[in-house]
Amino acid sequence: MLKVENVHKSFGGILALNGVTFSVEPNSITGLIGPNGSGKSTLFNVISGFYSKDRGEIYFKGKKIEGIEPYRIAMLGVGRTFQISEVPEKMTVLENLLLAPKSQIGEGIFNVFLHPLKIKRENEKLLKDAYEILELVQLYDLRNEYAGNLSGGQKKLLSLGRILMSDPILLLLDEPTAGVNPTLIRDLIVAIKNLRAEKGQTILLVEHNMKVISEICDRVIVLDFGKKIAEGTPEEIQKNEKVLEAYLSGSSKWELLDEDSRGQ
Amino acid sequence: MGLVNFLVYLSIMMGIYAILSLSLNLQYGFTGLANFGHVVFFCLGAYISTIIVLVFKMPFILGLLGGMVVAGLFGYIISIPTANLKEDYWAIATLAAAEIVRIFFLNEDWVVGGGPYQGGAFGIGGIPQPLRSLFSAHTYPFFYLVIVLVCLVATYIIINTLTQSAFGRVIKSIREGDNLPQALGKDVKRFRMKVMAVAGSFGGLAGCLWAHYHGFISPNQFLPLETFIIWAMVIVGGKANNKGAILGAVIVMIFYNSTRFLKDYIPIEAVTLASLRMVAIGILIVVAMLFMKEGLIKEKKTLY
Repeated sequence: MLKVENVHKSFGGILALNGVTFSVEPNSITGLIGPNGSGKSTLFNVISGFYSKDRGEIYFKGKKIEGIEPYRIAMLGVGRTFQISEVPEKMTVLENLLLAPKSQIGEGIFNVFLHPLKIKRENEKLLKDAYEILELVQLYDLRNEYAGNLSGGQKKLLSLGRILMSDPILLLLDEPTAGVNPTLIRDLIVAIKNLRAEKGQTILLVEHNMKVISEICDRVIVLDFGKKIAEGTPEEIQKNEKVLEAYLSGSSKWELLDEDSRGQ
Repeated sequence: MGLVNFLVYLSIMMGIYAILSLSLNLQYGFTGLANFGHVVFFCLGAYISTIIVLVFKMPFILGLLGGMVVAGLFGYIISIPTANLKEDYWAIATLAAAEIVRIFFLNEDWVVGGGPYQGGAFGIGGIPQPLRSLFSAHTYPFFYLVIVLVCLVATYIIINTLTQSAFGRVIKSIREGDNLPQALGKDVKRFRMKVMAVAGSFGGLAGCLWAHYHGFISPNQFLPLETFIIWAMVIVGGKANNKGAILGAVIVMIFYNSTRFLKDYIPIEAVTLASLRMVAIGILIVVAMLFMKEGLIKEKKTLY
């Protein structure tokens, strides 16, 4: 599904990604963990085209994705969320969801005037989907609130709902549960699992919450200083010495050890 | 009769400027494109329509459509090289683009074809008014007001429909940054170009209406100052609200024309008073910025 080969990326003197190689199997849930500053978000930005890479190759469904704009990568079916939620403040929660589906008829200037009926039907369908997703992320009551008025955790939920609305093949989720309350996290875990089962989507997620990682991930990839230091099942990773060392040497050692810690 | 004439004149100006303000609102209010050269569309619409009608002796309606097409095309084209500029640099680039066009018409007097037409810095006079012969000198302004209002209503309906559609959702998301729409597969550049094309053609429409009403155009009517008068309308009326844009145009036009009545009450020379108009508009902007950041009519929440 996704193959990352020997990817390098540096910012000035800092090597953010130093030869990362891994692959993600179709219909799997892969966790990406590592101490703060280990290159997880940079990797997401490189895969989704927001950063250009210095070296290396990225393949999506066997096709090389290189030098193309982020929106084209999204059109291919790679959906992503952002670590710091990107939420248009002056759009309501519902509008945020309706924005997400790709290539809507109503996005064409002339279509707006030439095909009002088609657009009406399109809108009705989108609204139906949106209400379902709003129930899932428990934002239904807030649907007509400006997204800018949501709390940090609610914005995360909105981002997740929005990416589900856009229906990608591969989801890159950057800390989807940061700032979300524990009960809701449990629901989200179920929801993400169902998503994979029902729609056959593939998920790659950055997460600091080990509980989430061990519950939903088939495989875990660990990054440290821009390098992959381990890969395996969640159980293997938790026993891996290199991984423990990476976390213990940093200031974020408790993230891995304390199951309930919330990361950033 | 003097007052009635003045009110008709004022209404025509309000209508024309409301079209300009709706069009700037589509760019700035909805898409976040701070166009400091909006007057260029006004200028192009006026010149192109004048050339088509006066020089090529074509009917008014073709001049109007021609002006809209050229101004829209210009908007589309200037957004290609500037597509990657950040908001403030984009503002500077648009300001420059507008000045280039104005200075072009200032210097290239061959454009409006020598012979009987002077062009260049002298401006062009004798621009025909549509269906002028059917009306008397007194009734014609009323007829022209109807033309302007029809155009205004059409502009309002089209822009309002667009901003409430899925297209409107995308441009509103672009207003707050490129990242999200990009991540959702929206071709942000193309959307910006489309906005500029639509806004440009309506700016052009206003220019045509203006040229054929006054019968005379010259490059110094399209100074950057004009752009800022239109900005005042959007700021005062309420950005991202189409009714607000129209209300803003009405209020600013009242302020703009108010100083001519002050001469009866304040012992200041008429010339000084004319300059005071800009001071009045400046104060209006400052007051709006301080006390009503979102303008008189706030952005309307889109509910489903």
